[in-house]
Amino acid sequence: MNITSSHTLFRLDYGGKLEREIANMTEAFAEHKLDTGHYPSRWLAIKLLEADADVLEHVRTLPNGGAVIELARQSSEKLKSWLGDDVDMLVADRRYGFINGIVRQALKRPHMDRVTLTDRIDDIVTHKWLGLPIFFAMMYIMFRLVIDVSAPFLDWTDAVINGPIASWFASLLDLAAAPAWIHSLVVEAVIGGVGGVLVFVPGLLILYFFLALLEDSGYMSRAAFVMDRFMRVVGLHGKSFIPMILGFGCAVPAVYATRTIASRRDRVLTALLVPLMSCSARLPVYVVFGLAFFGSSAGTVIWAMYALGILVAMLAGMVFTRTILKPDVSSAFVLELPPYRNPAFKSVLIHMWENTREFVHKAGTVILYASLVMWVLLNLPWGVENQRDSYFGRVSGAIAPVFAPLGFGDWQTSGALVTGFMAKEIVVSTMSQIYIGAEDAEEAAEPTTFLEDLSGIGFGFVDAAVNSGKILLSIILGVNLVDEEAEAQDTVLSRALREHFTPLSAVAMLIFVLLYVPCVATLGAIKHEFGISWAITSAVYQTAVAWLAAFLVYQGGMLLGLG
Amino acid sequence: MLAQLLALLETRENGLSLFEISRQMKAQPSAVQSMLDLLVKKGRLIEAGPDGKYCAACGLESNCQLLAVHGKRYVLASLFSNKDEAVRIESPVSPEAAL
Repeated sequence: MNITSSHTLFRLDYGGKLEREIANMTEAFAEHKLDTGHYPSRWLAIKLLEADADVLEHVRTLPNGGAVIELARQSSEKLKSWLGDDVDMLVADRRYGFINGIVRQALKRPHMDRVTLTDRIDDIVTHKWLGLPIFFAMMYIMFRLVIDVSAPFLDWTDAVINGPIASWFASLLDLAAAPAWIHSLVVEAVIGGVGGVLVFVPGLLILYFFLALLEDSGYMSRAAFVMDRFMRVVGLHGKSFIPMILGFGCAVPAVYATRTIASRRDRVLTALLVPLMSCSARLPVYVVFGLAFFGSSAGTVIWAMYALGILVAMLAGMVFTRTILKPDVSSAFVLELPPYRNPAFKSVLIHMWENTREFVHKAGTVILYASLVMWVLLNLPWGVENQRDSYFGRVSGAIAPVFAPLGFGDWQTSGALVTGFMAKEIVVSTMSQIYIGAEDAEEAAEPTTFLEDLSGIGFGFVDAAVNSGKILLSIILGVNLVDEEAEAQDTVLSRALREHFTPLSAVAMLIFVLLYVPCVATLGAIKHEFGISWAITSAVYQTAVAWLAAFLVYQGGMLLGLG
Repeated sequence: MLAQLLALLETRENGLSLFEISRQMKAQPSAVQSMLDLLVKKGRLIEAGPDGKYCAACGLESNCQLLAVHGKRYVLASLFSNKDEAVRIESPVSPEAAL
């Protein structure tokens, strides 16, 4: 038996008309004496009929190539008019049809009731009773990791910005014999304001890393599913929770994400609740106060802020549902749960970088402008000695009594809260300008050389990396591997805040920042989507709720002797 | 297969997701994905956001959290007549613009 005779060359049949044109083309190659080189004639004919750009370019360079290409073009036109589609589509259709046929005949799939790993994980994470505790536990672990692991890098960034960078700028200005007011503008407004916000970049990098992990792994959809039962209490369904989860990043895209919800009433209600989710802009405020007043429990306090945001959103939703936004016909909640997958490291890094870049860009634009305006207002009338007597100080002082029952009735805090309306990060940059500016950031710095500064930055980074690693291991292993000395580090702003707040008034302040008026960009998005009246409603109800909640916490704490 | 896929989307103004298409065609998502990619490349289909609106005009396309949660939808290009509106909605107000 001749073995080779049992091997037939596979050839997919593309159907009568197409096959005829392929045959015509291969004959044309012979007639035009086209040198097909190492390409099989049939393959080359199909590629020419498909008008493949690379093959056309190659054939054009051959003798008689132009004539063959013209023949192929005419054949393609003919086939399109006969069969109603481009040749490449017809060819692909035949190939996919053939592949599908082979798969159906050759592949025996296990029975559909087979339990996949995804099913097994879903049995636990979407369980009726376990689902919600698992969701909150995940959030708790995430924020512990974000706060604790980033803390050494936060200290390092703070030390670099307020140490070497501030001193380099000061030295340059001294060299240029710059007047005192430029000195003050650069050190207090630019470095104090923008630097005060940039300090939190390490924390945000880690936050976005975990959010990307949760999204890419497929857990986010499960979170919406788990929250469905609770969302129904407020007259919404799980689909509304997805914009809310997005609100943990930024409320602006979250408001636009309500477009996935069919009912207008559900959209409006979701958009009113989205700003109650703690966006990443509030994180710097939580971190500053958390580390200043609660030390190693800062992660727990910050997690509590996120949980409180969800709780208040539920309560606000219940009130709206029973008053101005009564539910219409409830629609069924159908959410596709994609299979779990290993997050791609590159995709996670891109996600981290894109979101953090947005934050840094904001620091370099909105927060820089706001800091400059703040500096001007703090120094007008020109030459004012005491910032309290500046225009900003006077206006803030006039507003301050409103906040006095909440435990932070000084002009500095009320001024910072008012500027936070522009963007929540500005609360921190304003506080940095007022408190650190007043303390003089450079006072503790001993003169150092440029090389000493550079080596200090490098060694500081290594120390931060080692301490972060130790903290991470401590959390994973449940054993404290961190030196007391490393734990005791503190930011310049934290030290300043402890002189103006008690732990109780700090909690009231955090609650107020969590709940009060959304930033101007979020209000712009609500106005754009639902009109000015809903934007005003959002601003007014949130500020009222924030004041009331902070009042209850502060006054309640005072009554209990916690102040 | 491609013709079957295009026919499936003919009446779906908001399009279908990869998983919905593969379920209806009784084919593996990985097999359907390559067909969808080809049809998108050929301009027969439009990749849309979870609400069936146009994605390509949005700067967040490669990093969209909404897409990460809901996944893309595929809409027949001939049904896709509301591109102008889509471009408008996919440009959220930036903080600077709002200021």
